[in-house]
Amino acid sequence: MSRSQRFFEDVSVGTRLTPLVKRPSTAQLFRFSAATWNAHRIHYDKPYALSEGYPDVLVQAHLHGCFLLQAVMEWAGPRARVTGFGWQNRAIAVPEDVLTCTGTVTSVGSGIVECQLEERNQRDEVCATGRARIQLPCRG
Amino acid sequence: MSAPIAELCAKLKEHVGRSERTDLGVIRKEQFQRFAIAADNLDPVFFDKDAATAAGYPDLIAPPLFLSAVRNWQVGPPQDSLRTDGTTSHEFAFLPLEGFRMMGGGQELELHAPVTDATRVSMELRLDDVELKQGRSGPLLLIRITQTYRDDAGRPLVTCRETFVAR
Repeated sequence: MSRSQRFFEDVSVGTRLTPLVKRPSTAQLFRFSAATWNAHRIHYDKPYALSEGYPDVLVQAHLHGCFLLQAVMEWAGPRARVTGFGWQNRAIAVPEDVLTCTGTVTSVGSGIVECQLEERNQRDEVCATGRARIQLPCRG
Repeated sequence: MSAPIAELCAKLKEHVGRSERTDLGVIRKEQFQRFAIAADNLDPVFFDKDAATAAGYPDLIAPPLFLSAVRNWQVGPPQDSLRTDGTTSHEFAFLPLEGFRMMGGGQELELHAPVTDATRVSMELRLDDVELKQGRSGPLLLIRITQTYRDDAGRPLVTCRETFVAR
């Protein structure tokens, strides 16, 4: 995988980030719980998740954050530096949901770009919102 | 349930402003590469040293969310110490949270410097604030925590601010 480089001069307020589409599987959720040493049953034990009133096991809060941040880093390119990032979960997601991460540049100045981020499912419901501050290289 | 929550609030307020630093050990590339793969992110700066150096990094870097996503850096409690939901109360250092369910749902991160392979990292956890609120299904506590991750020279790597809901 190679990422093309985004330059500061090419970006203005309103520029849209390249959308990133993710479809997490049950196996992915299990591996993410393992990699973060998170034993919360709600992410891998479907009968337990059903007992809590959910339709299936749940995508981890941090995995939503990872998806949004990946969208930012892939759009910005390898020489960009993300210096600030935040996200909030708004709705649950379950395996096989199609999660689309989008973003829009909201401010630019002194080589720094800020953007608003959103992750929506296949029903167009917002699952997470976020924001990022990115330092972009200048041409020449 | 309001009495235990109010008691917890009073107990936690005694700890506001307190902080405690924990050594997380040396971060190995296999740890953060496993995290990257689990997150389905094969960005070469996590896996290929040439790609990392071409991007201006001194070595392979960890995904920026790696440090603050790991919920427990210790070995964890034995099976019979897990709560019914599989979680553990050992994740918040000195905070007396035994018996309460903590829910996160997002973080605010300042990414000061990349975390590279073989960096020794410490994490300082500070209780910033506690607030008792009335939710739709009863009383709840908002617990605001800052976690600062540093390398062994004391340089900040990541500052993570997070608000947990305790019920």
